[in-house]
Amino acid sequence: MLQTLEGIQNGLRLSVTTPLEEVEAAAAAEDVLVLEFDAFRDGRGFSLAAVLRERGYRGQLIAAGKVLPDQARHLRRSGFDAVELAPGADRAAWARMDQAFSAAYQPAVDPDPSIWRRRRAAANDRDLDALADRLNRETAGKGAAEIVKAALDPALGLKVGAISSFGAESAVLLDVVAREKADVPVVFLETGQHFLQTLSYRTQLTRALGLTDVRLVTPDAEEKATLDARDDLWKTDADACCDLRKVRPLARATAGFDALITGRKRYQASTRADLRPFEVLDGVLRINPLAEWTGDDVEAWLDARDLPRHPLVEQGYRSIGCWPCTRAVDDGEDARAGRWSGMDKVECGIHLGKRKAA
Amino acid sequence: MYRYDEFDHAVVRERVEEFADQVARRASGALTEDEFKPLRLMNGVYLQLHAYMLRVAIPYGTFNSRQMRRLAHIARTYDKGYGHFTTRTNIQYNWPALTDLPAILSDLAEVEMHAIQTSGNCIRNVTTDVFAGAAEDEIEDPRPWCEIIRQWSTIHPEFSFLPRKFKIAVIGAEKDRAAIRTHDVGLQIVKGDDGGTAFRVFVGGGQGRLPHIGQEIASAVPAADLLAYLTAILRAWNLLGRRDNIHKARIKILVASLGIDAFREEVDRHYATLRREDLRIPEDEAERIKAYFAPPPFEDLPKVSAPFDRALLADPDFARFARNNVRRHRQAGYASVVVSLKPVGGVPGDITADQMEAVADLAERYSFDELRAAYEQNLVLPHVRLDDVPAVWRALRQAGLATANADLATDVIACPGLDYCSLANARSIPVAQALSKRLADLDYQEKLGPVRINMSGCINACGHHHVGHIGVLGVDRKGEEYYQITVGGSPDEQAALGDIVGKSLPSEEVAPAIQRTLDRYLQIRAEGERFIDTVRRVGPEPFRDAIYETLDAANA
Ligand code: HEM
Ligand code: SF4
Ligand code: SF4
Repeated sequence: MLQTLEGIQNGLRLSVTTPLEEVEAAAAAEDVLVLEFDAFRDGRGFSLAAVLRERGYRGQLIAAGKVLPDQARHLRRSGFDAVELAPGADRAAWARMDQAFSAAYQPAVDPDPSIWRRRRAAANDRDLDALADRLNRETAGKGAAEIVKAALDPALGLKVGAISSFGAESAVLLDVVAREKADVPVVFLETGQHFLQTLSYRTQLTRALGLTDVRLVTPDAEEKATLDARDDLWKTDADACCDLRKVRPLARATAGFDALITGRKRYQASTRADLRPFEVLDGVLRINPLAEWTGDDVEAWLDARDLPRHPLVEQGYRSIGCWPCTRAVDDGEDARAGRWSGMDKVECGIHLGKRKAA
Repeated sequence: MYRYDEFDHAVVRERVEEFADQVARRASGALTEDEFKPLRLMNGVYLQLHAYMLRVAIPYGTFNSRQMRRLAHIARTYDKGYGHFTTRTNIQYNWPALTDLPAILSDLAEVEMHAIQTSGNCIRNVTTDVFAGAAEDEIEDPRPWCEIIRQWSTIHPEFSFLPRKFKIAVIGAEKDRAAIRTHDVGLQIVKGDDGGTAFRVFVGGGQGRLPHIGQEIASAVPAADLLAYLTAILRAWNLLGRRDNIHKARIKILVASLGIDAFREEVDRHYATLRREDLRIPEDEAERIKAYFAPPPFEDLPKVSAPFDRALLADPDFARFARNNVRRHRQAGYASVVVSLKPVGGVPGDITADQMEAVADLAERYSFDELRAAYEQNLVLPHVRLDDVPAVWRALRQAGLATANADLATDVIACPGLDYCSLANARSIPVAQALSKRLADLDYQEKLGPVRINMSGCINACGHHHVGHIGVLGVDRKGEEYYQITVGGSPDEQAALGDIVGKSLPSEEVAPAIQRTLDRYLQIRAEGERFIDTVRRVGPEPFRDAIYETLDAANA
């Protein structure tokens, strides 16, 4: 949903009549950009927003001035987060028009899957299952690099991304991927609850491996404001917290991918005991090149390739997620014992398939 | 033919609901007329001189008998029993009540039709070659690409509030039967370097007050990147096109003012940073759509047909119809039949509800249930067995639809003009009717051979007068209706704008002047030359003399 705001004080305000180059130059330094429509008919603002988003602007984009409720979808789908309304504006009409269509044909900047993707997802689930079976057969007995190479084969025409937590063992997967193709998009869930060490490790590792497209994915600001304004939802409902901070952002961020590479391994959790290198989850091919790796394999690789280590490993952390839900483990303990310790929870949900319409 | 799935159905249904919401907000005053106008236009609703007008899309001109019967039902139930086919393969209803519109739109939605984006400053109904899928010279059926463009452009978030309207036409053959160079973007299917489908792209064509012929911007855009390339073009124009002057807002003005090379650079810059992969047409989606346009189950037939040949000999009227309105088909033993909506003295493009039903029956029975709307404001039965052409002709004759004048002088393209249109300077219909009566002799017309006459009631050029072999434009001379004549225009692969021959004429002078023009052609033509060939060879001068001969004599 497009947020509706009133009386915005912060951010830079520019008219949609401003040339693109000037808007881009100005936006670079701003976390909040307000684009003012001089007339609702003047559709330049939609292209400005779309171009800014496609060229990587991550700040908040707000539409202001003369816009109609009937343009809510156009604004949202072109990349605006919010619209500034006059007091007394018909918010009900804005909400109605925003949701007037259950789906849209064309892919746009917004994360909702287009009709083309949805048709495809339905038809592809069957095809993907067959593809996963075939690739599992073809890569049987082969190493992680071959598995990644098979997934990236242009003949398959898959749009492939990777997801990484930049945690204790992440360097291995990212190294394998980067050696095949350094511009594979890598999605990192910026839950807002990470250790500072994780964030600096992310920068360090990105540089060391030469990854060129690491994408930070944050929770939806409006959702977070309603569900977890004080950042303590994890205390009462870790599932809801993970849903807000991981499951839903990931769904949005990966809507454009046919296939996702993950670093999951069988030995990590009871839920992963029968993990295969290729599997299908919610219409997306999941690729797990390290499925059969053991902890020792990981150690050996990190050493052999002399990869930078997560700073917290020294302090006894062996599986690293958000700070509230991660503790160090003792030598004899299972690595993931340090995650959601004391809770009846072993997975955050992003690897479990859809529980509800995300 | 394409069939809607659950998603397509949902889009048109939700569009009707959205429009009802907008109408209600207009009624309550929540929307001003100024705000409501572009919204209703994007749903095909115009305010004309005497009433509202509804323009219904026939996407790329392809439809079936069920849809045609529904169009007849709408004409009968909500209008005065007729409809008007336009040059953009739409059908217009001239007299619907505003309160009936939601019902009409729902009726249309039931048969997979809509009026979405038939007007307004957005991407309009995409048009194509009327013989797509039947023509011998086609390298690929353009209609799947039209359908892909239709879906992509429907309710586009970025391109629904453009500087001005945007029209796209697609062809699949070298020969241009869809006037692509008079469109904002014209697409011609070609073979790419890798042997795959690609598009030659023309941009900046357009008619209206400042007519331009489209220029080539790309020679072979790979099919998978088509939407990304179109996005880059539209984006460049949306950001740079003029919004201060409605007459200078079309993309043609931007292309002309920057020059094609600078405009191409602008487009390339956008293309380079587009998330092209997202816009790549999914291979399987393209295949899914193509499957709908697979050739119908043709029979294996001999090239010649005895019943057809017998009818040729038996009936000179049929022979004439066969000469003028029956087109060769790529499948042996089949033909495409042009149903002329230009009877002598009739209103070009008009058709009654009864006639619509007659054509629907013929399509169902003889043409694999397929019908086409043509750019020339005619209809086409695309796939008729030669054996069946005589029966089709007899049925058409009974319905008053067998005028054997396709592409001849009385196959006039004309806009509604001052009889309906609030922008008109002059009437076009009565002038077209007078001309049609004057040139009615089919022997004379056949002697002349193919010649296209186009009429517009004002400079907006809805009747394409700029690209008529002979163009007639209604102008206002101190409150009187006058008509300016051009010769030498052409909408095809040798697209050209006509030359204005001289001062405008009063309405009663138009038909005689055009006849003198045609007579002059008969005098000076070389062996095998069509009218347009002669004009290209000798220029407009001899025709100017012919047109003004009597006037000069009167003035002398
Ligand atoms: C009766 C109500 C109609 C109105 C108010 C109307 C209005 C207009 C206007 C204002 C333009 C000029 C646009 C521009 O230059 O930017 C135009 C162009 C055009 N109209 Fe119409 N029109 C009407 C009916 C029709 C009909 C019946 C047809 C088909 C026979 C038609 C087909 C076209 C075409 C092909 C153009 C030229 C497009 C171009 O400039 O490339 N219109 N119309
Ligand atoms: S791991 Fe903990 S803090 Fe992080 S999202 Fe899940 S519950 Fe919230
Ligand atoms: S050419 Fe002019 S008169 Fe004719 S329909 Fe178009 S706007 Fe109306």
